[in-house]
Amino acid sequence: MQFDSGGSDSGLQSEINITPLVDVVLVLLIIFMVIVPLLMKGYDVGIPPAATDAAPVQSEVPQVLLKLASTACPILEPPSDEGVPANCRVTLADQEIAATELPTRVAQVMSDRPADKRVLFLGADDRLNYEGVLRIVDLAMAGVPDLKIEFVEAN
Amino acid sequence: MRLGEPSKMNAAINITPLVDVVLVLLIIFMVMAPQMRNGPEVDLPDTKKPSEQGDERSRILVSIDQAGQLWINDRQVAVEQLGEGLREAVGTDTDPKVVIRGDAKLDFRQVREVMVAIEQAGFRGVGLIAKPAGAGAQGE
Repeated sequence: MQFDSGGSDSGLQSEINITPLVDVVLVLLIIFMVIVPLLMKGYDVGIPPAATDAAPVQSEVPQVLLKLASTACPILEPPSDEGVPANCRVTLADQEIAATELPTRVAQVMSDRPADKRVLFLGADDRLNYEGVLRIVDLAMAGVPDLKIEFVEAN
Repeated sequence: MRLGEPSKMNAAINITPLVDVVLVLLIIFMVMAPQMRNGPEVDLPDTKKPSEQGDERSRILVSIDQAGQLWINDRQVAVEQLGEGLREAVGTDTDPKVVIRGDAKLDFRQVREVMVAIEQAGFRGVGLIAKPAGAGAQGE
């Protein structure tokens, strides 16, 4: 093929036909637009089976309890901004710490445990706001991604 | 092509009707997609890094709306009938997973009671659905 600037006699079209490309891309766009809103994100949590609740199992590794009291961490309304309020204090394994320290502290406590023993028992006060509790869960899991959360009665 | 010249074909395909049709389809899907969602409108809690919980069609959705009313998928149920409704929703699914879509304004008590009820119905573990902070109006 010759590239001649002035030649008007050749009927060749040098433009790429983008129609099939546009077609495929738009169909892909539609497919993703339909699927993406159906995908969900969240946190896997559990509740210890009621039967074993009565007789706590004494395992070789002690259970780690994270307590959320409505007095020390007053999230009673949905937080107005991101994260947890600065005045929120929680009790991790009998030590009172600021909630913002949770990722590092939980990682410390869980670091020497085998992966299947990384369980955090979370006793959250019933009066707390659900969104606030989820943000605490988020903080706890930020340090240990494969952490299992079990909700226990707060008392 | 000028008049009088021996006809030279215009090889460019006119893509206008194609784009037209595709854009109309796009708009139709944009309008339909939120209505295909199961359950009531729930203002999901914002959190930083929720993990993947899969496609909502492969999960049993338990929604708790702002008024504290319970829904299994798109059917409202009473608290006492939650277990029964869940067993119905399982159907032939061999590995059913339950997720809770709870409204951000709820008290933790309301969510915990539903979790206990789900556990009593024989399901081990639930997913608490959140939306990543700053993700806009997902879940509405």
